[in-house]
Amino acid sequence: MTDVDVIVVGGGPAGSCAAITAARAGLDVVLIERGPFPGSKNMYGGVVYPRILDGLIPNWWEEAPVQRWVTRRSTMLLTPTQALTVDFRSQAWGAPPYNGATAYRPDWDHWLAGHAEAAGAQLITSTVVTGLLRAPSGAVTGVRTDRPDGDLTAKVVIACDGVNSFLAKEAGLYEHTDAKHFTLGVKETLALPKEVIDERFAVRDNHGVDIEILGGTGGVNGGGFLYTNLETLAIGVVLKLTKLGAQKARPEEIIAGLKRHPAIAPLVQDGELKEYSAHVIPEAGLTMMPKMIADGLLVAGDAAALCLAAGIWLEGVNFAMASGMYAGEAAAEAVRAGDLTAVGLAGYQRRLSDTFVLKDHRRLKRAPELVLSDRVQHLYPQMIANVAERMFRVDNPDPKPGLRRILAQERKRAGVRRRDLARDGWIGFRSFG
Amino acid sequence: MSSPIIIACLKWVAHPGEPHDERFAGASPADRAALELALQQAKELGGTVTAVTVGPPATETVLRDAVAAGADRAVRVDGPAAMLSSDVAAGIAGVAEGAAWVWCGDYSLDRGTGSVPAFLAAALGAQQALGVIDVQFAAPGPAARVTRRLDGGRREVLDVTGPAVVSVEGAVADLRRAGLGALRVATSASIDVVPLRSPARRLKAVVQPYRPRAMALAAPDGSPLERLRLLTDAAAATAARGETVTLAPPDAAARIVAALRGWGYLDS
Repeated sequence: MTDVDVIVVGGGPAGSCAAITAARAGLDVVLIERGPFPGSKNMYGGVVYPRILDGLIPNWWEEAPVQRWVTRRSTMLLTPTQALTVDFRSQAWGAPPYNGATAYRPDWDHWLAGHAEAAGAQLITSTVVTGLLRAPSGAVTGVRTDRPDGDLTAKVVIACDGVNSFLAKEAGLYEHTDAKHFTLGVKETLALPKEVIDERFAVRDNHGVDIEILGGTGGVNGGGFLYTNLETLAIGVVLKLTKLGAQKARPEEIIAGLKRHPAIAPLVQDGELKEYSAHVIPEAGLTMMPKMIADGLLVAGDAAALCLAAGIWLEGVNFAMASGMYAGEAAAEAVRAGDLTAVGLAGYQRRLSDTFVLKDHRRLKRAPELVLSDRVQHLYPQMIANVAERMFRVDNPDPKPGLRRILAQERKRAGVRRRDLARDGWIGFRSFG
Repeated sequence: MSSPIIIACLKWVAHPGEPHDERFAGASPADRAALELALQQAKELGGTVTAVTVGPPATETVLRDAVAAGADRAVRVDGPAAMLSSDVAAGIAGVAEGAAWVWCGDYSLDRGTGSVPAFLAAALGAQQALGVIDVQFAAPGPAARVTRRLDGGRREVLDVTGPAVVSVEGAVADLRRAGLGALRVATSASIDVVPLRSPARRLKAVVQPYRPRAMALAAPDGSPLERLRLLTDAAAATAARGETVTLAPPDAAARIVAALRGWGYLDS
């Protein structure tokens, strides 16, 4: 006899969605959060794509704590003195059912956890899960917390304890972890009046902008981002850990460099620094994913490395919400069937495999490595920017050169070999095509 | 003889850093210390602890925390969020009648006046020991030895016997960490809700910036000339001109004494 049916560890998007589905299935669910409230420990600054919530919270957009609906999506390529931007705008993204939104995760997570409580899950805050309880067979039977009298038993534990999941590691689900699979996300939140943000980013009302940046990271492999909230901007960089360490670069100086770039400085000028934070991101996709199922245990969200970092697609919260949802469903299925072994919980893997959660990761398996490679990071941006500069430069009385000639010259000048270009192009085509 | 009832008074306050976000709200450190002392004393005396708060339903979170920590009963006196201290005390007094001890925080994080404990002691006709910075429970017996902070860095040690109202500073005790089981039970624990004895008078909204209360400063002693020297810091101004000399230690000491005398510091 266990204390409860399901323990969900972590009150982030994965944990709350797991708790919602399990509780709605009639299970006795406890959701344990280490912070004083869900989201309180978060440093997220990004775009949430909540379409997966359609089935879980109908018309979620009417109540979700959104900052701005993203109606402009820009991809910016930076060299020290150049910037090339591909800018897309769709007014359709500013109306139901919407596409993506910027949000403060303390608000978002708090909101989602509220739905978990409404579904009947019991939320326990300010409590750190310090380990797993195991049966002699090795099956997970509960968790140990840092509170007195802190053991709690359950039929199924769902670990949504975020990147670098101690529970998944304790259960032996990560075969190995390698620093090269992680990036360091560093973010500043800058306050500006809403009218100033609207004017600088050419948006109105609660419409916002998502700018993803290649380059501008001070020579460290990674990327930058700039998102508009209602009255703040989230600007930051995502840096490959191994390169950051090797170059002995300081992330705050890299952000400062990005903010000084001629293409970025006018956007962030006079912003008052409200917050500086950093967090590790699991960026290697399928390459680093652990086993997600053990006897009595499921792993979801960042804890399962379900974060998609594929250059033009940077998504995490939607994968977390979906995996949490499917984990909750699978747990309910196993409890009903009375089979709490990995076999009984296999419905989780099936759900992940049949949906975008693993389909996208399989398809984009090689994208993270490509995006963070030295050529994509350092050679191609300079080459492309130079091509653009020569395309638009008027060198009269010289006649305009042909694009093919410019490409060939700039490829040679950048030191890019044809076969590397072909190989990267093929990987890119296979991934994104 | 029935077991003594010990009251812990708790106020639900916004966090000073996030005054508009209820997620950060909770009991002040001083109130948490009061609850811990109530729990310790209840164990000493074999009594029961009743946690009391005054306010709307949202304030019940502090009561649930108290139940999780070990309070036997939780009572919310139904009232508005902001009330006059005397009305708050009257509301608590309705619950605390007959209690052997009442423990309160010295003052709350939301710039409270710290006057509720005094009003409460008056309403209950109980002894009071306010601004307490140390508590020792005497064993055996129902007394507590408390140390009060007085002006000018002085201390007062009192042996207090109930019924008494004691207000403590936050550093006196750390509230124990609630057990997981107790925490789970507390989320669904029943809270007794009682009405205010008399209609509460709401506090007027404070719109001006916070200003600390004026402090009474004694006039400096001495002649007008001396007061002038004090106010204008004349000695320091003279000293600021200074000089650098290299002397043997006895000569250096003599030079310093001479300089101090010259600036008027050593005049008898």
